[in-house]
Amino acid sequence: MSLPMKRSRTAALLLMSTAPLLLTACDRNESREGLYTSVEACVAQTNDSDTCRQAFAKAEQDAVASAPRFANREECEANYGKDKCAERNDGANHSFFGPLMTGFFLSQMMRNGVAANGFSSAPAFRDRWNDWRRPADDRRSGSGAYGGVYRSGTGTAMVPITAAPDRAVTTSRGGFGRSSGSRGFGS
Amino acid sequence: MRRIACAERPDWRAKAAACGFGFHTIDDAPYWDESAYYAFSLRGIEDDIEAPSEELHAMALDMVERIVGSERHMQQLAIPEPYRDWIAHSWRQRDPHLYGRLDFAYDGTGPAKLYELNYDTPTSLFEAAFFQWQWLEDQLARGVLPAGSDQFNSIQESLVEAFGTIARGIARPFHFAAVRDSAEDQGTVAYLRDCALQAGIDCGLLAIEDIGISADGRYTDLDDRVIGGLFKLYPLEDMFRESFGAYLPRAGLQLIEPPWKALLSNKGILPLLWEAHPGHPNLLPAEFDAGGALPRGWVRKPLHSREGANIAMRLPDGRELRTDGPYRDGPCIRQACHPLPAFDGHYPLVGSWVVGDRACGIGIREDDSLVTQDSARFVPHAIVEAARGVLIA
Repeated sequence: MSLPMKRSRTAALLLMSTAPLLLTACDRNESREGLYTSVEACVAQTNDSDTCRQAFAKAEQDAVASAPRFANREECEANYGKDKCAERNDGANHSFFGPLMTGFFLSQMMRNGVAANGFSSAPAFRDRWNDWRRPADDRRSGSGAYGGVYRSGTGTAMVPITAAPDRAVTTSRGGFGRSSGSRGFGS
Repeated sequence: MRRIACAERPDWRAKAAACGFGFHTIDDAPYWDESAYYAFSLRGIEDDIEAPSEELHAMALDMVERIVGSERHMQQLAIPEPYRDWIAHSWRQRDPHLYGRLDFAYDGTGPAKLYELNYDTPTSLFEAAFFQWQWLEDQLARGVLPAGSDQFNSIQESLVEAFGTIARGIARPFHFAAVRDSAEDQGTVAYLRDCALQAGIDCGLLAIEDIGISADGRYTDLDDRVIGGLFKLYPLEDMFRESFGAYLPRAGLQLIEPPWKALLSNKGILPLLWEAHPGHPNLLPAEFDAGGALPRGWVRKPLHSREGANIAMRLPDGRELRTDGPYRDGPCIRQACHPLPAFDGHYPLVGSWVVGDRACGIGIREDDSLVTQDSARFVPHAIVEAARGVLIA
């Protein structure tokens, strides 16, 4: 056809369909995420040494700029533990202290079970409570993740890697959904 | 634009079952109806539906900017006072939205006339985006449709793309929620979740009734996890009224559709649009209703009516049509009566989908009366070019 189509080139379903996925000509996209303490551990898991090496190198490169910054060693060690901090310099002759990278985070899109091109990686830091954190890169999570501001304290711009969500004791349920609708609430 | 009877696919029910389309028949009445389709010309689609949809969408978003700065407009739209700042804030920080549907009266010739915006909880999405698309592919392959026929429907592609665009801005854990006992709403959120998964977003399903509240006023799922993002196929104005609603402004919950959609899913937007753009070819004259007898040639609609409920229509000849429904109280608007066109005794309403600010497809609901209600059947459409010797108005 010479004209561009006005319809989707393809439309497939992942979970709604009862048909085998391979027969629906769809791309099964999901992401694979991992936290690794070494390139070797990464390769053992992913069998992809090129990506693991590149992810490690990029994380290490980003670590200085994106690590939490502390005005002095004591504050840093109070958060990350003794001998886990190093003095840094931001290149403009301002020195500060930041935690040493203790691992790296790797995220890859998978297509039909095979890693797609490209990845994202980030340095990971384990704090003295043994929680793994990485710099927030999400615009909703606030500012200050990347350089520039000297901050003390625990660093609100770090996010947990396990993404273990907050929990709260539920005191009641059923406070939504009581309005009368005919057969549904869509329109 | 023509209504063309055509042979059903013999296996369409099996296909519906295979893709989880359980509500093709509702209460023993047909909902999905492929015994006919509407044929459009490409020019009609692009000039009369697609372009006006994008223009009206942009006008509506501009209007949000004006409303959030005006207590008077908030009052006219009957937005409860405790939610006004929260709604304004959600607009000012540009909380992402996903989709909306503009409903048009269109007969294939004159300008399409906007009946209303369904910008908070639009449904008939799966039917339009997926099952209608599959119908076209199948009927092309079977030779029922002329070779080269197309469809104005990149809705699914647009949904996956939109989810991909907003993925990083969606708080986790992210759930899709609808009322437990509505097969139609559950089917719609299952489909949206499928699109989100295709965009790489990890997300779950939750019944609206199962949402919990914690002692410190945060919403929880069934595992007592604090919900980060919630797609709710449930009207914002109903949430405002219900017992958990009071926590919304301070719960830290990200809603999709976002709070500012309460200003657009509200029929009060229609008189405001008319006031700002009087005489716009795609708008019908509209005003806030001060009560009293309805003059000839006007329709009265509650601000929050859905599925054509509680509509009063006084036709130019004086006849009056009324529909029942749950929206008996509350403020209304009046809109100039512009009856739906009739095709073989059927009245099609064109639902034009906007996903991520792009007009990307239509779905047609056809009823046997001038007011399209939840009894309306979904009838597929095709773009069939006139070059084949068939003249299509």
